Amino acid sequence: MDMGKNKVIKWFSAQWTGNPLFSTTLALCAIIILQTCALGFDYASFGEWWSKFCNNWIIVLRNNATTGIVSLGMAFVIISAGIDLAVGSTFVASGALFLLLLDSSGAGLLPAAGLSGWPAFGIAVVLVVLFGALLGGVNGVLVADGGIPPFIVTLGTMKIYRSVTQHFMQGRSPTFPSSDFGSFSTVTIGGYMVMPIVYWLLIAAILYVISKKTVFGTHVVAVGSNEKAAKLTGISVKAVKRMVYVMTGALVAFASVIQICRIGSMDYSNAGSGYEMDAIASVIVGGTRMSGGRGTVIGTMLGVLIIGVMNNLLNLYGVPPFLREAFKGVIVIIAVLLQKKEATS
Amino acid sequence: MLIEFSNIYKSFGPVEVLHGVSMSVKGGQIMALLGENGAGKSTLMNILGGLLRADSGEIFLDGSPVVMRSPNESIAHGIAFIHQELSPVNDLRVYENMFLGREERKRFGFLDRAKMRQKARELLADLEIEIDEETYMRDLDASHKQIVEITRALLCEARTIIMDEPTTSLAEHEIELLFKLVRKLVAQGVGIIFISHKLNEVKDLCTDYVVLRNGYVVASGKMDEVTTEQLSEHIVGHELAQMSRTAVMHHEDEVLRVEHLSRERQFSDVSFSVKSGEILGVTGLLGDGRSELFRSIFGDTPDYEGQVYLDGQPFHAKSTSQAIRAGIVLVPSNRKENAIIPDLSVLYNGTLATLKRYCRLGLLRRAPQESEFLVHAADFRLKYGKLDDLVTTLSGGNQQKVVLSRWLNTNPRILILDNPTQGVDIGAKQEIYEIIRKVASTGVAVVVLSGEGQEIIRLCERTLVMYHGRIVGELRGDEMTEQAIMKYATGLGA
Repeated sequence: MDMGKNKVIKWFSAQWTGNPLFSTTLALCAIIILQTCALGFDYASFGEWWSKFCNNWIIVLRNNATTGIVSLGMAFVIISAGIDLAVGSTFVASGALFLLLLDSSGAGLLPAAGLSGWPAFGIAVVLVVLFGALLGGVNGVLVADGGIPPFIVTLGTMKIYRSVTQHFMQGRSPTFPSSDFGSFSTVTIGGYMVMPIVYWLLIAAILYVISKKTVFGTHVVAVGSNEKAAKLTGISVKAVKRMVYVMTGALVAFASVIQICRIGSMDYSNAGSGYEMDAIASVIVGGTRMSGGRGTVIGTMLGVLIIGVMNNLLNLYGVPPFLREAFKGVIVIIAVLLQKKEATS
Repeated sequence: MLIEFSNIYKSFGPVEVLHGVSMSVKGGQIMALLGENGAGKSTLMNILGGLLRADSGEIFLDGSPVVMRSPNESIAHGIAFIHQELSPVNDLRVYENMFLGREERKRFGFLDRAKMRQKARELLADLEIEIDEETYMRDLDASHKQIVEITRALLCEARTIIMDEPTTSLAEHEIELLFKLVRKLVAQGVGIIFISHKLNEVKDLCTDYVVLRNGYVVASGKMDEVTTEQLSEHIVGHELAQMSRTAVMHHEDEVLRVEHLSRERQFSDVSFSVKSGEILGVTGLLGDGRSELFRSIFGDTPDYEGQVYLDGQPFHAKSTSQAIRAGIVLVPSNRKENAIIPDLSVLYNGTLATLKRYCRLGLLRRAPQESEFLVHAADFRLKYGKLDDLVTTLSGGNQQKVVLSRWLNTNPRILILDNPTQGVDIGAKQEIYEIIRKVASTGVAVVVLSGEGQEIIRLCERTLVMYHGRIVGELRGDEMTEQAIMKYATGLGA
């Protein structure tokens, strides 16, 4: 009996200190329990409770799908010891291009070129993702080849991308043909609108494989962990750095497509604003080291979920909206404190 | 003023570097602390300086035990540590540097510049040093920077000053200047602990000596009762003196030839060649430019003048990856800073340079990666837990073996090893020498950069000696002795 107890404690402390995701997972479980309690148990039947439960979860996941995708890109950037503050602005710039391409009010670029229907949509998505990659590439080139600190580069492009987008979109009001293409995000499966979640999980799976099973994934860790050693090992540090920003730009553009298909429009001054901080927060909560070298795709997913479920929880308990951001801040700080303890013990 | 170390023990992870060291220094003494790199000198001094804590043993100050928990406590006890690599704030003036961190203040916390200037001027005059306290630090040469550092120590009333290889970056006349000051301080009752590799200089300046080897005190006494030959034998040790030397052989095929290579402020007009199967040493003191030279050849700093020939063809690596493809690899010095990826596993660290080879359809395959690494691991008698453990869980010697296997996987034609046995114990050292000899016997041209005379003598067939960025001497086989190497390395060979 005593032996068993000891074993549990030993396992627990080994996990606590040795497994960086352990405390994150525990925290997530705790929040999920609270969330479940918040839904209450006051239902006529189990079936009714179950459908309420599922509905709530679908909403949480769907609401976090876009930031989830952005966070995955951000995780790669941060693991490479960089940072990308321009994700929100890249989001709005790619979204604007997407709307201009498919505009159904007569001025759409693709309709004008005689393209319509799903082929046009497909081309638009590809172009927008390439555009996002290009914007990310600008960051990457300035960081890798210009040797400017990533914080400064992306602070600059954050301002540039959004401001130019806002200026360019002045007096233009493209309409998104939601009735034609909205189903990309809104089609239901089994009665639930799950497509954004599907895209998110699909991207996460691909990135998981990239991080674990490719040379690039290893090189990102190497560059973030010890750039000097990576360079002397013959790793093209510059190419790796450029690539993480390109990748993030492309992911952000795709997130923007998902978002527009879902809600049918974009507010050029507000859309995507704060994404950079939300993404950074999720990545940090997910156990990624700010100075690079350590971090995982799964951890980042957990981080997004913790913040997402937390938001939902606060909503369910009726916490005033202005206070919710404060809770987010508290979580980020607690998460880093926990990780610090793990690192030093 | 008397400092006594009593039975000091210190380990880094599994490696014990100080095995019960006892010694003492008193005011008016210039104590030479001698030993090879890795003998434990720095560790011992870092304990005194409050940068490290001893695992056991005590330090007594005038008979009462003290514990230095931080550099500040050490300074408060009147101990000043002048590090080898100086860190002056070049954008501040001399007097500001002297008072940095201990600024004189007026009321409300404002700086009392007048008082600081005056105190600085008085101290400099007192020591007969001709430095204007208003000069910017960046405008001083190396020896004067060193001297300002010493005055800093005097300002906080240091009674004991630790000087870690203070002369390595100084020219002959600057050394004279420094020694004059040291003698003056000693006459005033200050105690000095002087760490140096230059035995002639030590013999000239110091009054007493302690020799550390592998963490033990192996000899100590009055300087005038010992010869430099005896000191040198104490430092190296009988064990290493008995270690076998690499047989000098005749090699045919020239692989690498370097003609008139120069890079501003680092090396100038360097020419030499290496043959297939040869082990060539390149040695010198700190600041000789050997690491910089080979970093350039390796493509890390490719903006040099002159010409490199690979197999007789002109070759100029513009990047490290280009050099590696051409078969030139460099195992850098300072493993922790330049080679180890602390967040990757043993396996990944050992195969990092050749990952592409294990891929199919862009995805890494574990089996070939593992099998290639395990060949080296067995060959090198690598001690590790699991392949997926972080590389930082290994001891220094084993980390070095992992780094070596990373490079040997690339099947190099020219293997450049910069300080290959830094921070490894004598057993691992021998093993690494064996590995290097074996690699050379397969026809790889090996270049060993090292500041340890014995390493060059044991391991290399031939050595180049560099001084201030130039090759000033070449020694072959039995010509290689510590004295001969040191003669060239200190610029006295010509």
